[in-house]
Amino acid sequence: MLVYLGRRLNLLFFTLLILCIASYTLAFLFPGDPLTNLSGNPISSEDQAQQLRMMYALDDGYIAGFWQYLKLTLSGEWGLSLTSQNPIFADICQFLPASLELSLYAMAVSLLVGIPLGIAAGLNHRRYTDMSILSVSLVGFSMPVFWLALLLILIFSLQWGGLPMSGRVSLIYEIPQYSGFMLVDILQADIDNKKQVLMDALHHLILPTLSLSIVTCSLVVRLTRRSVINVMASDYIKAAYAKGLSRTQVFWHHGMKNALLPIMPQLAMQFTVLLTNAMIVEVIFSWPGIGEWMMQAIYQRDFPAIRGGMLAVSALVVIVTICVDLLIRTIYPLSKKQLHAQV
Amino acid sequence: MPKSSFYDEEFYPSPVRQTWNEFQRNHIALAGLWCLGFFVLLVLLGPWFLPFGPLAQNTEAILLPPAWDANGDVSHLFGTDGIGRDLLARVVHGCQITFGASFFLVLLAMLVGCSIGAYAGMSRGLRASIINHLLDAIMAIPTLLLAIIIVAILGTGLMNSMWAITLALIPQFIHHTRDMVGREYRKEYVTAARLDGASDARIFFHSILPNMIEMLVVQATMALSVAILDISALGFLNLGAQSPSPELGAMLSDALETAYVAPWSISLPGAAIFLMVLSINLVGDGLRTALKNRVNQ
Amino acid sequence: MKNRTCLGLMLSCMVSVGCQDLDDAEVKQKGLIYCSEGSPVTFNPQLDISGTTADAAAHQLYNGLLDFDPETSKVIPALADSWLVSEDGLTYTFQLRKDVQFHQTGYFTPSRAFNADDVLFSINRWRLASHPYHKVSGGVYPYFESLGLQDIVAEVNRLNGYRVEIKLHRPDSSFLATLATDFAVMLSAEYAEQLMLAGTPELLDSQPIGTGPFKFQQFRKNNYIRYHRHADYWEGQAYQEQLIFDITPTSSMRLAKLITGECDVIAFPAQTELRIVDQRQDLVLEEKPGLNVGFWAFNTARPPFDDPKVRRALAMAVDRQALLDAVYSDSAVASKGLLPPTSWAYDENQRDVHYNPALARQLLDEAGVKRGFRMNIWAMPVQRAYNPNATKMAELIQSYLDKVDIRVDIVSYEWATFRRLLKQGMHDSVLIGWSADNGDPDNFYRPLLSCAAIASGTNRANWCLPKYDELINDALRYTDEDSRMHYYHQVNELLVEQMPLLPIAHAYRFQAYREGITGMQINPFGGIRFGQVRKEGR
Repeated sequence: MLVYLGRRLNLLFFTLLILCIASYTLAFLFPGDPLTNLSGNPISSEDQAQQLRMMYALDDGYIAGFWQYLKLTLSGEWGLSLTSQNPIFADICQFLPASLELSLYAMAVSLLVGIPLGIAAGLNHRRYTDMSILSVSLVGFSMPVFWLALLLILIFSLQWGGLPMSGRVSLIYEIPQYSGFMLVDILQADIDNKKQVLMDALHHLILPTLSLSIVTCSLVVRLTRRSVINVMASDYIKAAYAKGLSRTQVFWHHGMKNALLPIMPQLAMQFTVLLTNAMIVEVIFSWPGIGEWMMQAIYQRDFPAIRGGMLAVSALVVIVTICVDLLIRTIYPLSKKQLHAQV
Repeated sequence: MPKSSFYDEEFYPSPVRQTWNEFQRNHIALAGLWCLGFFVLLVLLGPWFLPFGPLAQNTEAILLPPAWDANGDVSHLFGTDGIGRDLLARVVHGCQITFGASFFLVLLAMLVGCSIGAYAGMSRGLRASIINHLLDAIMAIPTLLLAIIIVAILGTGLMNSMWAITLALIPQFIHHTRDMVGREYRKEYVTAARLDGASDARIFFHSILPNMIEMLVVQATMALSVAILDISALGFLNLGAQSPSPELGAMLSDALETAYVAPWSISLPGAAIFLMVLSINLVGDGLRTALKNRVNQ
Repeated sequence: MKNRTCLGLMLSCMVSVGCQDLDDAEVKQKGLIYCSEGSPVTFNPQLDISGTTADAAAHQLYNGLLDFDPETSKVIPALADSWLVSEDGLTYTFQLRKDVQFHQTGYFTPSRAFNADDVLFSINRWRLASHPYHKVSGGVYPYFESLGLQDIVAEVNRLNGYRVEIKLHRPDSSFLATLATDFAVMLSAEYAEQLMLAGTPELLDSQPIGTGPFKFQQFRKNNYIRYHRHADYWEGQAYQEQLIFDITPTSSMRLAKLITGECDVIAFPAQTELRIVDQRQDLVLEEKPGLNVGFWAFNTARPPFDDPKVRRALAMAVDRQALLDAVYSDSAVASKGLLPPTSWAYDENQRDVHYNPALARQLLDEAGVKRGFRMNIWAMPVQRAYNPNATKMAELIQSYLDKVDIRVDIVSYEWATFRRLLKQGMHDSVLIGWSADNGDPDNFYRPLLSCAAIASGTNRANWCLPKYDELINDALRYTDEDSRMHYYHQVNELLVEQMPLLPIAHAYRFQAYREGITGMQINPFGGIRFGQVRKEGR
């Protein structure tokens, strides 16, 4: 176990290092002055340039420069955005929680709906229930997430009315930022009509969460179903039947745990897919998250921001992946190095 | 003189034949195959039969609803968009761009991925370990995110987004080829070939590759559906194909401007993407089940 | 009457104590949400010429010395109570309004009311290059520079605390109108001084203090702007406690938000969507002819567009009526020149180019433009009244130019980037336009095409012809309309010959809002204002 832990941490460390190297190299690959790309300062005077060169140790060769960059990155000095001149790190700290919040809720919904459906389908393999659940999940899985979001807006916001289609909470309410998670912030905030604001925020959550979770949910259904089918066909299940246990008993005592545990890593991996889809959905629902922020940066060719956003998102994805892997490894020592989803 | 037919009673269909037989038993998958065939035909022949080009503007007929609507017109079966371009023509050309681009980039990704994967699978030691570590790290990042990052670096445009998605897909092919090659490499028939003195390249091409083809086809169909979704997503985000190109995702983002007035300009291109991906997924699923059933026999 | 108000207040207090939660509708009624089309570049309209900045700042945060009456377009008093113009038209004396309070916010508490020092500060900032604030935030004052105003104003003098005198070098019949525009706002000299001492002078333009009906609260780029009501506003406090600009660049999104009730008022409803707004019971649509012009400008600093023949040919290659139908859907009039028909200097019988692709190709051949020549058209990414959909128009022009064997690349960037690059002259041609800031014809001719306007970035054609400048200067020396008309006719003739830009349309101005909003008024000179707007519960 310790060896495994060591290897995983090693992997984490090296991956993050590679990401840092990549982001540092990007500053030189992007068009324009590397110094501007690193710091986000439109260099106006020779003095300033000299000062910045000192700060980034650009004259001491690439290795020293990178070391300096690493130190700055770790201390939260990510430079300024070219367009807004805000510190990038502060921006990311502000926008990332919004994306995480959305993804977490969508993940929760997908698991809560997807796993029971998957089990139901798996237990009724090759029967009507299975077929219908499977085909619905196939439809959900083939749906382009941006189209789905647009359809939901067309139907639920515009045609039927009632559900809001942009933002996290009506702008009428001023919610002071505390944790970045809207619902937590509202509960934390010292405002009147808390219940009302909370309801408003929940209303705003419905459509984005739905459009994200439909796709993920169908993946969860397929994973769960496949695993349940495999487990239910195994010898120890047959043995349990032979003991005279009923189908429910067999499944709850023997099948369930063995079916769900092996796919845990793959289920958890869906979170990263979800985070990516969240970036698209954010653009559609004007959700002020990291996705929308990065798209703006890309449109405006704001290189320091692209660099920072890329580093933040990919680091987050890698950290989540490896942490989940470690966690599952502790709960379920049998799991092999199954990092990759096989749908 | 009649040929002696000693073994003829027991007819053994070839593995491909067996897979096909299995596949045929799955009606939904077969329907998917028909649908996919229809799309392929549409992509290849469709543009020849269209009365309008995808960029031709008819300022007389702006925002015309589809023909099945009361205000529609048969000359524009799917209606027109905000500057009077025929939506049917745009959707057909859009399928051509989206599907065609995806098809070629998957081929390329497969070629590159397999070569690297085969190399990684057959090599041992430090090099393999480095490749494996790197792969694990990259595989953890979803393809679309990788593609977005790569487009951010390369700049927007259809070509760049194609490169980005190709690069983002390669790791999956490497991963699967590496695993498969690694597994097969330990089997007896390979050992036998090695004892015969065959080189690594010879073993790969003559012994392992034929066993891998089906796995690759399944992988390719999955990659194809991912590629279509990603290319249209990039188009939708204005990172891939740029308007006025009739790429389906770019069309959707164009249509946002008239979303409320002309909901058909949202629903039709989206439905085309959806049907394409659905039929590919059906075929992929069917193939995989068929393969599994064949192996289990 | 007073008693009853008191009673009502007390009652409402008791109710609100009695049950903490107000009714949902009541809470929403306190704030007005306006879905605007883009982020302002700054909160000081002196520094930027775009309507987006003017909308977000001019009438919400500030006042000018003078203002326009939205109905009659006449100059009316604002922060200046009254004014006097000397016989020779060179000296203007303004009597200032007393007891005008500046905003009190978290970052500034005013110690005195508005007075002559503020006027001197506000005008000298853009006028004098030596002024300590002149170079702050870029040091470019495009509107004033495009008019060459810094060279026209000779002195600004403080006569006493509430009386200011402005002397000009030469008479300018449009000077009062200029002072009434969105750009001639009054800043706080006291706040500026405080910031200078703190070493952060640039905050003057990003954390603004003014005298307007609303005070600045918070701005998140591409997201929202929040304002609170200015309780001591000199015209009486605004009806709404809160004003929020919800920045929504896509017009269909704005309409959708209007329908779902997420916005109360939207900026620039798209032409194709007007019908829907009109049809729905819960939405209101208002229209008014606007003083604007949408045009296609050729960058005359780049060959082959430096050749008038090429420009004329390109102008002939495009069927403007088709553009009008497709892009404005009957909500604009075709333009013959820069001036819209509502201007007094409009010339009914002006000469004009007509759609003639064959002649266009012939002219191009004569000018030596090869077949298959590539050029770009920059299409602005935001909707403006004068051009509701530049991309669409660019695509139409693209197909027209294709017929004369010219290939077109359509270029678009985010609005701020777009204008920055445009100012650097990176374009071959651009689809953009102009909304008048005052009713004077000079407000079209000078900022759009004079030589001085190249440096200030409003002359998108980068076109400079001394004869043209001479003519428009001559026109300003007269105050009677007939003599000025005479010069403007010559100018028009010159423009048809030279064709530095192709005027396309003069659009109507539209405003769409939800039922229950009162006090909205379409201002003929751009600039939306919310001081008098009231939201009523349904």
